[in-house]
Amino acid sequence: MKPNGHHSPQQVEKFLSWLCKPEVIEETLGDLEEYYAEIIEKPRWQRTVLYWFQVMHFLRPFALKKIGSYQLSNHPPMLRNYYKTSSRNLLRNPLSSFINIFGLSMAIGVCIFVYGYSQWVSNIDQFHENKHSVYLTTFFADRDGTLQQNGLTPRPLGEMLRADFASIERVCRMEDRNVVMKYEDQVFHEQARFADPEFLEMLTFPLKWGTKRSLSDLNNIIFSEEMSIKYFGNKNPVGQDIRMIFGENSSKVFTISGVAAPFPDTHAIGFDFLIHFDNLKKTESSYNFQDWGKFVDATLIQVSDPTDIAAIEQNMKKYKQLQNEAEQDWAIASFAFEPLATLYQNSGDIRNSISSPYYSSNYKAQIILSILALILLALACSNYINMAIVSVAKRLKEIGLRKAIGASRRMVITQFLAENILVTFFALLLGLFLAVTVIIPWFEQINDFSMEFRLIDHTLWIFLIVVLLFTGAASGLYPALYIARFDVVTIFKGSLQFGRKNFTTKVLLGIQLGLACLLIVCAVMFTKNSTYIANRSWGYQPVGALYTNVPDYSAFERLKNSLMQNPEVISISGSNHHLGQSHATAVVRKPDRQYEVDQLSVDAHYFETMGLNFTAGRSFRERSESDRQAVIANELLIKNLNLENPVGELIEMDSAKYEIIGVVKNFHPYSFSYAMQPTLFTLAPEQDYHFLSMKVEKGSESEAYATLRNSWARFFPETPFQGGYQEDVWGSYFEKIAMHGMFWRAVAFVAILLASLGLFGLVALNVAGRVREFSIRKVLGANWRQITVTIVKQYVLLFTIALGIGAPLSYFITDFFFDAVYTYHAPVNIFSVVISVLILIVVLSAVIFTQIGIVSKANLVEGLRVE
Amino acid sequence: MSKQHLGELEELILLLIIMLEPDDAYGLEIRRALKEHAARTITIGAVHGTVNRLEKKGLVKSQLGGATEERGGRRKRLFTITAHGKSVLQQSRDVKVNLWQQIPELALGNLRIT
Repeated sequence: MKPNGHHSPQQVEKFLSWLCKPEVIEETLGDLEEYYAEIIEKPRWQRTVLYWFQVMHFLRPFALKKIGSYQLSNHPPMLRNYYKTSSRNLLRNPLSSFINIFGLSMAIGVCIFVYGYSQWVSNIDQFHENKHSVYLTTFFADRDGTLQQNGLTPRPLGEMLRADFASIERVCRMEDRNVVMKYEDQVFHEQARFADPEFLEMLTFPLKWGTKRSLSDLNNIIFSEEMSIKYFGNKNPVGQDIRMIFGENSSKVFTISGVAAPFPDTHAIGFDFLIHFDNLKKTESSYNFQDWGKFVDATLIQVSDPTDIAAIEQNMKKYKQLQNEAEQDWAIASFAFEPLATLYQNSGDIRNSISSPYYSSNYKAQIILSILALILLALACSNYINMAIVSVAKRLKEIGLRKAIGASRRMVITQFLAENILVTFFALLLGLFLAVTVIIPWFEQINDFSMEFRLIDHTLWIFLIVVLLFTGAASGLYPALYIARFDVVTIFKGSLQFGRKNFTTKVLLGIQLGLACLLIVCAVMFTKNSTYIANRSWGYQPVGALYTNVPDYSAFERLKNSLMQNPEVISISGSNHHLGQSHATAVVRKPDRQYEVDQLSVDAHYFETMGLNFTAGRSFRERSESDRQAVIANELLIKNLNLENPVGELIEMDSAKYEIIGVVKNFHPYSFSYAMQPTLFTLAPEQDYHFLSMKVEKGSESEAYATLRNSWARFFPETPFQGGYQEDVWGSYFEKIAMHGMFWRAVAFVAILLASLGLFGLVALNVAGRVREFSIRKVLGANWRQITVTIVKQYVLLFTIALGIGAPLSYFITDFFFDAVYTYHAPVNIFSVVISVLILIVVLSAVIFTQIGIVSKANLVEGLRVE
Repeated sequence: MSKQHLGELEELILLLIIMLEPDDAYGLEIRRALKEHAARTITIGAVHGTVNRLEKKGLVKSQLGGATEERGGRRKRLFTITAHGKSVLQQSRDVKVNLWQQIPELALGNLRIT
């Protein structure tokens, strides 16, 4: 009876003969097979386990092959001979050596850069000593059918956690507020962080001056180093007094009790000013710490043992009930804790996280860059493999001789691998040089940050050694095996056919072309996208619009009256929120489900001022009491609510009914990296005005801006101006998009360079090997056109197949990639793929035709002479 | 070759090789007999390891033969004991018998040689 088919005896046979001496194989396999017949009744899985158990027990010293049979020729003179032949060979073919070393060093340079970048990214926030025991409290809530994680915390939760769990060591609540700081005659708008005194013990920012404990005093304030320099220069400010203005009528004098040491470049959580949490009472006399309906910006907890966190999460249910009774509109599904060590990676998915989501996009970029580095490395390695296979012609005699005088196949492989490691080593040195002097500075410059790349870093050197061995093996293994395969007799008979028709060479070149095509499509698309984004409509008219913060209604009135006297002002409006600056969040209820919407409270002129377009209905009427119960929605909300004739429909919000009186076109309040939200406008009560916006005649923006600033300075000399051109609100966003384009063009350039270098080398070697053939053809009367056809012919099919597969694939990958990276982007279309293919074809043809040029000019006699 | 120690498993296997039919004394069958007569279960690999050691010591010799259908037509390695093997086995037995006889019956308690 034969063992049942599912482990094929061949598999075992292969496995054992690979490891065991040949003389014991037969009896062993026989016994095993008999054994299998014995246990055939057992269940299948048991059979498999038992069988393999027996197989594994054959791996004993008596049966295993001797390690000694892998003996290397390690005699120094032999090694010296290897080195000599290798270096002579490198120097004899300067062109192919250059292509190999340069190509590899480019790729390795990019790898080193990506390594440095990953180091930088993964260092974010890692300087906090308690990073593994500190957690951010978050909750999940159902929003329009999906669970959304949120970094806010109900106000009383922090205190209750501290009281209820023995395993929670520390708790820190945090809230950020906009304040005005006044020191002598300097006044600035700032953001202050109200935090429990444990803040500095949980997030271990070192201090430059002062003590961490001083935060427990309500009258103390701790500065960041940056702010300390802003207000006091390089002087030690500890002990100085500074006034913090919370609102029109409330302010408090704080004593500076500490200054933080400069934050490491890699921090996602920081602060400008730290004051005691209880000072919130000062900003708002009605501040109620026990109100479940209100939230604080963040609550951090520190546990004594990180394994306790699961148990704590289990016990959070009662708080969920408390919360959901108090605030039914915002039902929470569950609480969860996010560890500080990985918060920067996950903060992209957490709304309102204290850790800036900017860093989670870096985490994504790191993954994309790593893939990119691998692609470039693959390109360079394919180059090397191709060149090695084709140029083996020149070294056949050497290999034959070595084999004839007793070199085993293994020794030849070792020799070629070692030679390859040597080449890779040179490439590594050059690559390191390129990375440090060109790639990293360039990337830092276009992104405007410092990667703090240092050569003195032991993990870097481990990484370099890994790169050396990996690249060496990846690029050298196949050529070494290929070269060592040749038979001595065939070599010396001279009847060997090789290289020209090598299938692997063609496949590799094809893959290279495909990858190059992908990268070029990316570059074309990113370039196109930056133009697209720059021209994309905001859905409203930022041109000619100006805005400023105002403290209250009376300030608004005074400013408005003064500005109205300017003839170029078209309209002025006041609002509680402002496009690109702020919004509130509201919940619209329908019987079956609820919708979270962005809400902006504005006045009747706001739509005219900001250039929002109505598609139906009307704007608010000025001072109309009935319009207090009216809303204007954007098209997206109407679509989500599934309303055919929206105007006149009633919706329920905050347990009151509102009538939809108008619909505006969709618009982007924030940059294009945020998805448009369903939005509605309500009429703002005058006492809520916090923004003044105005529309001016085209061309008079800068005068209007100056007037605005002057009026401001006249009315509010104490408060710094906080406003500007509406167009500038997202200016830096366009720079970032343009930077993406620039980066990808550089990448595509490197890719084209690598692919064309590879092709160039191949064609050059191919032509060099066929000089005699071409000369004979010419003697027999072939003109250059016919020669061109013979050379081009062998590549046309390859190009067609490579691009035929590569181009559509690039299309889909790029489409997927753009959807993942951008919320709104230029549509990926056939056009950009066609452009990329054309670019590639032009470059490749140029490479081939330079070689044809050389052939057609070559002297016939030179080519035909036989030494 | 005067210092020729026999391990316990080696001794058992050597005895079994004598006991088994000449065309049955191969790895898997030895393992089966070991299970039956000495109540010991060891892997096939361990049997092969041991007989291989015995062969190196010159206590057994082997030849290939006896291919069957259920082995997939592969031959068995059949073992026979050598003269040297027999004498080593005899020595080992003598040493033990000698020792047993020198032990006073009292010291054995309820253990008895019959």
